[in-house]
Amino acid sequence: MRLTKLKYYSGLLLIAMVVLSCKKVISLDLGNDSGKLVIEANITDESGPQYVKLSRNAPFTSTNTYPPVTGANVTIYDSTANLYFDMVENSAGTYSVNKGVGVLGHTYFLTVNTGGQTYNARSIMPQHVAMDSVATSSNLLDKTDNKRMMTVYFNDPAGVKNQYRFVMYVNKVQVNYIFAFDDQFIDGKHVTLDLQQSEKDIFPGDTVRVEMQNIDRPVYTYWFTLEQQQGNNPGGAVAPSNPPTNIAPSVLGYFSAHTTQSITVVAK
Amino acid sequence: MAKTLLLFLFLSIALISFGQKKYSINGTIKDGTTGEQLIGATIRIKELPQSGTVTNSYGFYSIYAPEGDYILLFTYTGYEPVEQKISLHQNQEVNIPLQVKSDLKEVVIRANAPNNDNIASPQLGVEKLNMAQINQVPVLLGERDILKTLSLLPGVKSSGEGNTGFYVRGGGADQNLILLDEATVYNASHFFGFFSTFNSDAIKDVSLYKGGMPAEYGGRLSSVLDIKMNEGNNQNYTVQGGLGLISSRIKVEGPLVKDKGSFMVSARRTYIDFFLKASSDSTIRGSSIYFYDLNTKANYHFDDKNAIYLSGYFGKDVLSLKNTFGTNWGNSTGTIRFNHLFNSRLFSNTSLVYSNYNYVIESFLNNEGFKATSKITDVNLKEDLSYTLGDNHTVKFGVNLLHHTIAPGDITAPESSSFNNIHVEERYGYETAAYISDEWKASNHLTLLYGLRLSTIFLLGSGTFDTYDADGNVTSSKTYTSGQLVKSYTHLEPRFSASYVLDDANSLKFSYNRNTQNIHLLTNSTSNTPTDLYVMSTNNIKPEIADQLSTGWFKNFLDNNYELSAEVYYKWLQNQIDYKDGAQLLVNQGVESQLVYGAGRSYGLELFLKKKYGRFNGWIGYTLSRTERKFPDINNDQYYPATQDRTHDISVVGIYQYNKRWTFSANFVYGTGNAVTYPTGKYNVGGLTTYSYSERNGYRMPSNNRLDIGATLEGKQHKKYHSSWTFGIYNVYAHRNPYTITFRDSKTVPNTTEAVETSIFATMIPSVTWNFKF
Repeated sequence: MRLTKLKYYSGLLLIAMVVLSCKKVISLDLGNDSGKLVIEANITDESGPQYVKLSRNAPFTSTNTYPPVTGANVTIYDSTANLYFDMVENSAGTYSVNKGVGVLGHTYFLTVNTGGQTYNARSIMPQHVAMDSVATSSNLLDKTDNKRMMTVYFNDPAGVKNQYRFVMYVNKVQVNYIFAFDDQFIDGKHVTLDLQQSEKDIFPGDTVRVEMQNIDRPVYTYWFTLEQQQGNNPGGAVAPSNPPTNIAPSVLGYFSAHTTQSITVVAK
Repeated sequence: MAKTLLLFLFLSIALISFGQKKYSINGTIKDGTTGEQLIGATIRIKELPQSGTVTNSYGFYSIYAPEGDYILLFTYTGYEPVEQKISLHQNQEVNIPLQVKSDLKEVVIRANAPNNDNIASPQLGVEKLNMAQINQVPVLLGERDILKTLSLLPGVKSSGEGNTGFYVRGGGADQNLILLDEATVYNASHFFGFFSTFNSDAIKDVSLYKGGMPAEYGGRLSSVLDIKMNEGNNQNYTVQGGLGLISSRIKVEGPLVKDKGSFMVSARRTYIDFFLKASSDSTIRGSSIYFYDLNTKANYHFDDKNAIYLSGYFGKDVLSLKNTFGTNWGNSTGTIRFNHLFNSRLFSNTSLVYSNYNYVIESFLNNEGFKATSKITDVNLKEDLSYTLGDNHTVKFGVNLLHHTIAPGDITAPESSSFNNIHVEERYGYETAAYISDEWKASNHLTLLYGLRLSTIFLLGSGTFDTYDADGNVTSSKTYTSGQLVKSYTHLEPRFSASYVLDDANSLKFSYNRNTQNIHLLTNSTSNTPTDLYVMSTNNIKPEIADQLSTGWFKNFLDNNYELSAEVYYKWLQNQIDYKDGAQLLVNQGVESQLVYGAGRSYGLELFLKKKYGRFNGWIGYTLSRTERKFPDINNDQYYPATQDRTHDISVVGIYQYNKRWTFSANFVYGTGNAVTYPTGKYNVGGLTTYSYSERNGYRMPSNNRLDIGATLEGKQHKKYHSSWTFGIYNVYAHRNPYTITFRDSKTVPNTTEAVETSIFATMIPSVTWNFKF
């Protein structure tokens, strides 16, 4: 359980009491501020292809397809090792290097040149904190139909600031929920962390993959801001805004140098 | 400017000391049946039309006149007026008991015209509600609630459906000074804001100052809500109470020593949790959810000149999910007051006030156990004096010394837990204030109420205090020893109100006042939560400042039966607080690094038509307003509408006494929706649909409207007891008022997104309460 989640839990309980609430899909007259550049750039400590995706945002009312931005010059530079990765556009808007690997503790610079403008970002690959295991437990808040919840275990290193992001897949489909944590309350502890979410029900027999990323502070702020804005905060979520990006000049998206480790289990 | 004002004040006091020889008439006005002192009762001398005064918070009054024979006229809303002949040849004490108007006939055919105090008083922007009216207005689940009823007045806006949080003239929810018998109530809500902490049974008098705050109040920007508890019946023992849908309440009161002292104990508790016990689900059975309130009060009058009052409030919310987590929060307050009458001119009140708010959050999970606590404790010593100078000056002056201890957060956890023990340093400070004000009846037409309040905050050690730059980086850090001064701020707050009476039924009023605030609420949620965190002004956080100008026209017509008022206001706010993206406010030693500072402004027009008397009474309120904020990193440093900005707000309240047994009531509300931020585009990062935004609060929630109705059936008259039934229907036409609007991937059409509106109480909610008294 997380402290910042408590409001959410208590709110849920309240909403459960107020059975009179109801939801309906409505149509809203929303503005259209589309066509803005979106940069999503990652470099991980897993040897293999590394991707940078360039696209443009779309109006709320259109389908979830985003126009790719082609013909850009994209490089990732390992300043610690003085090593350049030239990213090649293999499919429209997706720039990659086939064999690249990020090194723990190294500082990476992203440069994207498109439409006559150069965008820069920096991210530091954190040290790797490994997950010990992933276990299945009873869903804390919704036990109907034997709903399950995934719990991860790891040792947080003492005396250093660590930030984590988890990505969950149930039967190979990504769960539509952002999990971002820092070690403000758990520094140096053997950590039991519940990945509580209500987007995708998990039942015994489901195959669940949990990916753990170690992320740097700016990237954590990016994900944590998005996490706080997730729509299921009853009683008033924080005012939404575009999360602070580490790319300058400011665009939508982020550049993250992070570790990655996945564990796949069958829910019990 | 301040010095000039001060000089003017003393000069005018000096001048009137040379007036002609006059005698004083003073005394206490009480309810003839219960002995309760009446606050705000009017005393006039018939022969001197421009004379007149009202009783203070202790029912005390003092009035001056030259030697002679007079008829004194005592009036108070809902009570029979009393005329008393006196021969004034020396200072004289006149104590008058007033009787409640009981017979319906007398309400309709009235011997005396209702008074026109609202015309003559220089006070602007004040709302007084009497408990009889509050008890008639229909509310959610039958829980009578002063805060909900107050939000039906112009200029006061509820913070959400079913919510007791309120915004006054565009101020924030934390900018209201809520006083219960002089003690600050930090969290005035139960159950996440659905109910207020004020049990109407225990409440005697409610005043809300929206503007023109008298100098004796300070410390918050927007409003003062001054609530006084019942003293208790000093004539007879009575027990009254009620059984409602979600709670029951009981009140016991009676004399300690007849005519000299009384006590009152009032309690309320919800019982939804008893229904949980009946659940088939063991988790629900083992969970709890309830709140309670306990109000206690006692007083003793040693003689005509000395009286002591003790009052206390204890309230708590408890919420827990079996073996998972638990949380509880609550306020406790205590007040000791001592009244002393030095002479017929000088009245003194000395108060020692204690106030505490705390919360506890606990996790009972095996490897994730912890207990987080936070609290704020105030001790306040106050001395307030009121001096009647001649027949046209009432001077009030006083000092107060308020000590704050804030423990922002502590986490304790067992060794096996995933959580560490964390301690955030306590913060200590003094808020001191001295004030003087004078209400001066300058002529038959002009009354002035002017004063000054000097307020200072001293932030004291011990502790380590970091100074942050605009990016939230520490630029310096200094450790202070216990009691060492860290930072202080001093402000002089001018308060000025004037009324100019055009004729018996018309007046114009004007006011200017400055208020400062040194206790700030940090919350990045839009509704009341138990984890609201308070901080003092520090080296980083500057005191919030508000300046308000307001003016109004007041008119009574049809023999003072109807009151009509139109007020306009303009308010400037400085040093307002907002949060950076991704701010983490809970149990965070460096919380001040997460804050940003900006400005605000709000302005509006309030129209109010009220019918005060008769079988049919009620009011119509309309507010046209704008509330904006400005922060450097939001909307390019341009003004944008605050969440609570509400262009139009209408409320209509009607109460009709059909016969001796049946009373019907209804209220209707309409309001422009809150200002909100909606997406103007979408993109994909991290494999998930993500929304993009172009401006803060650029959109509106749909408007909301609702009709509630109620009825009260008085039981047949019995010698020994009395009972009544209260029926209510909340949201009669089951309007779906939007609570939140969220955005998500469509559940029906793949690869698209949709907006989802959530409504709570989207159906009509009936309620019934049985009340008794014996």
